[in-house]
Amino acid sequence: MRYLQHFLIAAALCSLSAVSVRAADIKLIANSSVGASSVSADELKGVFLATKTSLSDGSRVEPVLLKSGATHEAFVKQYLGKTDAALETYYRSLVFTGKGSMPKSVATDAEMAAYVAKTKGAIGYVSSGANTEGVKLIDVK
Amino acid sequence: MNATTTRIGLMLVCALPGLLHAQFDFTIDGRQVQVHSFVTQGFAYSDDNNYLTMKTSQGSFAMTDAAVNVSVPITDKFRVGAQVYVNNLGNLGAWHPSLDWAVADYKFKDWFGIRGGKVKTVLGLYNDTQDLEFLHTFALLPQSMYPSDMRSSTIAHTGGDIYGEIPIKHLGSLSYTAYAGQRKDSEYGGYPYLLTQFGISMEDYGGLVVGQDLRWKTPLNGFLVGASHMDENITATGKLNPSITLGGPNIIVPYGEWSNKDQTNQVYGQYTVGNLRLDSEYRRYWRDQQIFSGQYEITTDVRSWYVAAAYRVSKRLEFGTYYSRFVDNWISTVPGQVESPNQSAPDHHLYDKVVTARFDLTKFWNVKVEGHFMDGWAGTMYPDGFYPQDNPQGIQPKTNMLLIRTGFNF
Repeated sequence: MRYLQHFLIAAALCSLSAVSVRAADIKLIANSSVGASSVSADELKGVFLATKTSLSDGSRVEPVLLKSGATHEAFVKQYLGKTDAALETYYRSLVFTGKGSMPKSVATDAEMAAYVAKTKGAIGYVSSGANTEGVKLIDVK
Repeated sequence: MNATTTRIGLMLVCALPGLLHAQFDFTIDGRQVQVHSFVTQGFAYSDDNNYLTMKTSQGSFAMTDAAVNVSVPITDKFRVGAQVYVNNLGNLGAWHPSLDWAVADYKFKDWFGIRGGKVKTVLGLYNDTQDLEFLHTFALLPQSMYPSDMRSSTIAHTGGDIYGEIPIKHLGSLSYTAYAGQRKDSEYGGYPYLLTQFGISMEDYGGLVVGQDLRWKTPLNGFLVGASHMDENITATGKLNPSITLGGPNIIVPYGEWSNKDQTNQVYGQYTVGNLRLDSEYRRYWRDQQIFSGQYEITTDVRSWYVAAAYRVSKRLEFGTYYSRFVDNWISTVPGQVESPNQSAPDHHLYDKVVTARFDLTKFWNVKVEGHFMDGWAGTMYPDGFYPQDNPQGIQPKTNMLLIRTGFNF
């Protein structure tokens, strides 16, 4: 067991990667069909981890993710409590056991806003400076 | 077509989309159909003893598996899908394609859904994903808990599940699964292979399986604990040549086995913080079986556990380690079969210390280099990776093995 203890100590001493985008720099957006103007952190986590398909007001929602980037990593870390790699592993475990599908993902803030604007129930996230015309802003309480 | 050609063909078919970063989605009648696949190839080399029916003492590439699945949401609550799986592991698998799962899933509410068909079985942290190499840090999951040679004994059941997640305010959430169905073991699995040493050719092995799993995602972010329970009623039929083990005539007669009691209890915990993940599980498997068509009884009390740690250093590199313990206590009324009384005897246990480096060359392609340092071989009355047929010179008490495994998925 000694070698396991050494490994754990080494891992704990290694510095974790810093996220350059804070949660305050992320805007949560949704299609106008989504009734709620705010969601709880638990609801948001449930939606993006595919354990919830609707919000507390009954709105059916479909999560949309960015494929990569600082905004995506900050969102995944802050709101889902995972790294990007862990999230990818999580979704693939659902796909390859027949318990879910890969969520829609887009490359840029502009694609995110465009997809969310045209897709009923879509909910996603963009950087604070992104153009959010045509979508609804959602607060996380 | 020989095994090498088959391996290359499988890898090209299943790996090419991953290499091209291709997404195989298309739309039928407005519904998005997703297609995913994976393929893995391993190489194992051990200093003594052949492991998992591969000729590892000479170096073996006989470790390949692949799958392809298709799924489509019919409505926002109802989805269907299926996956076909094929594998070859030494003398097991035999490249025999099988329906891995085929599921219709209806989610009434977030806290209540049903799925039916051939469903991957939830047991512990990783039973339903044990053969999805790309999801795990390790090239081989702890074999004390998820033995590759016994995959088909727990991987899926044909029947139905109820499942759901229930939030409990400030105490996190509870996820539950309850299932019932039929288990059918592959004739190319470890147990039928083990029985060939006794002159038994197993033709059908399986039966009723009923189980439950409950896991608590605690309020401490990243900390999960859970428990699983499974009861089975197994029957088996086949053929026996009594001259091989029992000193009888050299003829073929019908053979049967059945359960008196077959039960698994498992508890587990997982903690993930940042790039560090810690896992631990304990399983007790009690198997009381009538064998040789009811003439004898064998009771096996398998107690196994492991602790594991994994740390992702960067996007491309992850390290992992685990310590796995498997102890097999058995009582048999078969003449001449007596277990060593001392648990420290090598035929009474199998301990494995493992270190791994995982390299993610791309998002869809990984390579793992893994060292196993095994103590013991846990006897021959229960499949545990070491088979007398593959080790005719006898089984040495310790085994060191290098395992290199690569996988593509998309």
